[in-house]
Amino acid sequence: MANPEYIVEMRHITKRFPGIVANDDISLGIKKGEIFALLGENGAGKSTLMSMLFGMYEPDEGEIWVRGRKEVISSPNHATRLNIGMVHQHFKLVSNYTIAENIILGIEPKKMAGLFPVVDIKGTNEKVAALSKQYGLEVDPTAKIENVNVSTQQRVEILKMLYRKAEILIFDEPTAVLTPQEIDFLLQIIRGLRDQGKTIILITHKLEEIKQVADRCAILNRGKLIDVLDVAATSTQTMANLMVGREVDFVVEKSPAHFGPEVLKVEHLTVKNSDGFPVVKDISFSIRAGEIFAIAGVSGNGQTEIADAVTGLLPAAEGSITLDGADITRSSIRERSDLGISAYRSGEEAGLSYIPEDRQAVGLVLDFTLADNLALKNYYKPPFCEKGILNHAAFDSYGEKLIQEYDVRSGQGIHTITRSMSGGNQQKAIIAREIELSSKLMIFVQPTRGLDIGAIENIHRQILAERDKGRAILLISLELDEIMGLADTIGVIFSGEMQKIAPAETLTTNEVGQFMMGVKQA
Amino acid sequence: MMMDTLHTLIVETLPFALPLFIMAIGGIYSERSGVTNLAVEGLQGFGAFMGAFAAVLVVKKFMFFAPDSQMPMYIALLFAFLGGMLFATIHSVLCVKFKANQVISGVVINILATALTGFLTSQLNESIFGAASSQFKLIPSARFSVPLLSQIPILGAFFTNVYPFEVIIIVVALSAWYVLYKTPFGMHLRACGDNPHAVDAAGVDVGRVRFLAVMLSGGLSGLGGICFAYSLSVQFSPSIYMGYGYLAIAALIFGNWQILPTLGSCLIFGFARAAGYNLPLIYDMPVAFKDLFMILPYVVTLLLLVFFSKSNRAPRALGEIYDKGKR
Repeated sequence: MANPEYIVEMRHITKRFPGIVANDDISLGIKKGEIFALLGENGAGKSTLMSMLFGMYEPDEGEIWVRGRKEVISSPNHATRLNIGMVHQHFKLVSNYTIAENIILGIEPKKMAGLFPVVDIKGTNEKVAALSKQYGLEVDPTAKIENVNVSTQQRVEILKMLYRKAEILIFDEPTAVLTPQEIDFLLQIIRGLRDQGKTIILITHKLEEIKQVADRCAILNRGKLIDVLDVAATSTQTMANLMVGREVDFVVEKSPAHFGPEVLKVEHLTVKNSDGFPVVKDISFSIRAGEIFAIAGVSGNGQTEIADAVTGLLPAAEGSITLDGADITRSSIRERSDLGISAYRSGEEAGLSYIPEDRQAVGLVLDFTLADNLALKNYYKPPFCEKGILNHAAFDSYGEKLIQEYDVRSGQGIHTITRSMSGGNQQKAIIAREIELSSKLMIFVQPTRGLDIGAIENIHRQILAERDKGRAILLISLELDEIMGLADTIGVIFSGEMQKIAPAETLTTNEVGQFMMGVKQA
Repeated sequence: MMMDTLHTLIVETLPFALPLFIMAIGGIYSERSGVTNLAVEGLQGFGAFMGAFAAVLVVKKFMFFAPDSQMPMYIALLFAFLGGMLFATIHSVLCVKFKANQVISGVVINILATALTGFLTSQLNESIFGAASSQFKLIPSARFSVPLLSQIPILGAFFTNVYPFEVIIIVVALSAWYVLYKTPFGMHLRACGDNPHAVDAAGVDVGRVRFLAVMLSGGLSGLGGICFAYSLSVQFSPSIYMGYGYLAIAALIFGNWQILPTLGSCLIFGFARAAGYNLPLIYDMPVAFKDLFMILPYVVTLLLLVFFSKSNRAPRALGEIYDKGKR
C-alpha cells in the first residue's frame, strides 16, 4: 500500500557497484511541495540514490513508488514521463546551440515553412522567455550556451526540466560551481519553485544551504540512511555529527608553534599576467620551519599568482625567491620540487610540495590510474624508474601504501582511473602524494574547496601535523575561517599588494576582513 | 581573350566543384555527428563503382535502353548513392557499434575500396560481360546550356555546358542543408557532434543518429564519386582514386564544417583545378608545365591551411567515442 502522504517513496533500496555497496537498504518518503535535502559526505551514496529515481540505474533490491504507484523507472525518459527532472553536477548542454535549442532538444516542436516542416525556433524562444519569467530565472533564450556563465547554464538545466513539465526536481550538488552571490540567487529560485508547488530534492553536503532552504533532511553515511530530520528543529552541529558519523570539531585543536630557521624568503616579488599587467606588486615575506603563513584575500587579488611564482608555473618579473638558502628565482619547476634530488636519495627532505587550487586541471592526470598519479612527482627516480625503464611493481606497492595510510577511497583501489573518483578523494590523493615528498615547504592553495566538513576537518589536521613536523607551510585560502583557525602568521593581500603581515593572534577576523577589502591601511 | 579564358574556366569549374561539394557535405554529415570520416575517398570510389556497374548492367546485359540513352546515367546516380551508403555501413558498424578508432577505420576503408573495386571490376567484366577489362565504360553524359541565362556576360558561364548531375547535386545539397539545419534529425545530429551526453539526456539515441549520419555521408560521397566518373573520364576505373575524397575533407574543414562556406572552398578548388588544366592549353605551354599546373589545387590547399587554421573550430566531440558512463 502506498502512503498517501508521500509523492515519492523509496523502500528498502539497495544498490551495489563492484567493490562497494552504494546504497544499503534505504527507505524514505518525500512529501509533495517540500524541499527535501539529502545530506552526506562525498561518496555516501546520495547521487546514486537519486540516479535511481531518475532512471539512470536500477536498484538491485527495493521498490520505488511515485504518486502512490509502484514504478520500475527504466530510463531518464521514463522518469521524465513521470514528471521527474534532474539537474546533474555536470551539465548536459550543447555548447554551440542557443538556450532555447538546448531546451527543446529531443522534443522539438514543428511548424510548416511553406511545404516543409521545420523546427519552430521562434515559438520556442517565446515559450522559454515566458517560462523563464514565471520562475524568475532571467535567461535570454537566444544566447548561445558557450557565451553564458555557469550559473546561467544551470538555470538552463532548470528550464529544461520545467519545459518538460517536471513536478519533482532533483538538484545534484547545485552550488558546487557557483559563487556566493549566485548561490543566494539559486536558493531563492529553489524556494520560488517550491512556492509554486514543485517538490524539490536537494543533494548537498553543505549544511548552511540545508539550514537556509530545506524543510526536511535525510542523512546518509557510507550508503546507509542515518536519520530523517526536521531541519528547523535540528542544529547544524547535530547534522554535521550524524553526517560524518562522529563528533566534528568546527575548530581544530592547535598546539603552540615552534619556529625553526627560515625556509622560504620572497623579496620584492612582482608577477605579471599574460597581458603584461602586474598582478603581484613588490611583495616580500618569509616563512620559517614549523610556521603556517596564510595569505588572506578576496579571490583574484594576486594570491594564486604568488603560489604560481613560487612553484615556477609563472615567471617572476622582478624580485627573488629563496628556498632553503638557494636562489630558485630562475629554476625550473622540477629543480624546485627536487631541490636536493641527491638529498632525496639519502632520505633527506626535498624542495617544495604543491597542492594546487584546481585539482583536476593541475593536480592530477585524470585519465591515469590512482597509482600513476600518486607517483607523478617521483616516477623518474628510483625505485620507480631504473635505468630509464619504469618499474610498475614499485608504482603499485607505493600506491597501495599511500591509499592505506591516507584513507583514499575508490572503486578499484590503485587501478581506479582518477576521473571517476569523488572530489574529496581526488584531493586526498594529491595531499598524500605531496606530503610523502617530505618537502621543506608545502604550498596549499584552497585545499578544502568543494569538500564536505568531514574531509575539511581531516585536511586541517594534516596541515597542522605537517607544521608540527617542522615544515614551512604557505596556505592560500578564500575561507577566512580556515585562515583564522590555522595560521601562525597572516598576510593580507589586496589588489596585488600586501596590506599587512602580522602574527595571527594579534589580528581579529574583522580586521583581516577590512584589510582584505582595502578599507583599512596598515 | 581574357574574357574568353575566364568564361572557359568558369564553365569547367562547376563539373569539378559540385561533385566535390556533395562529397564534402557527406563529410560534414558524418563529422558534425561526431564521427571522423577519412573514408570519403573510399566511399566515393565504391559508390562510383556501384553506379557504373548498374549503368553498364542495364545497358549491356539487359539491353533496356537505346545506345545513346541518358537514362542509365540516372540509374547510375541512384545506385552510386545506395552503394556509398552500403559501404559506409562498414564505417558506422566499426565506429558506432564496436567503438573502433575512427581514423584507422577510415583509412582501412579507403584501402579496401581501392582493392575491392579493382578486383570486382575485372571479375565482373569477365564473368558477366565476357570481356577482360579493368574499367566500366559509361555513356557520355549530354550537357546543356540554359537559353537566355547562358547569354549573360561572364555569369552566363554558370549556365553553359551544364551536366544534368550538376542540377541534381544542387537539389540534393539544398535538401541536405534543410535536413541538417531545419529538422529535428539535423538538430540531433549537430548536437551529437558537440555534446553527445546532452543528446542522450534528451532521450535521443546517439548511436542511431551517428549510424544514420555516417550512412548518409556514404551516400552523398558515392553520388559525388559517380559524378566524377562522368565528368572526368566517362568510365569507372581505379583512376577514380585521385585523392579528391581527401580534397573534399580539406574543403569541409576550410568551410568550418558548415555547408555554405564549404561551397565557397569547393568553388575555389574547382577554379584552381580548371585553371591548372586549361591555362597550359589556352596559352599553348609545353607539356611539362601542364603537370606543374595540375598541382594548383593542392598548393591552394596548403595556402588556405595557413590562413584558416586559426579561426576554424571542429565539432567539439569529433572523433570521440561515445561512452555513456564517462563524465
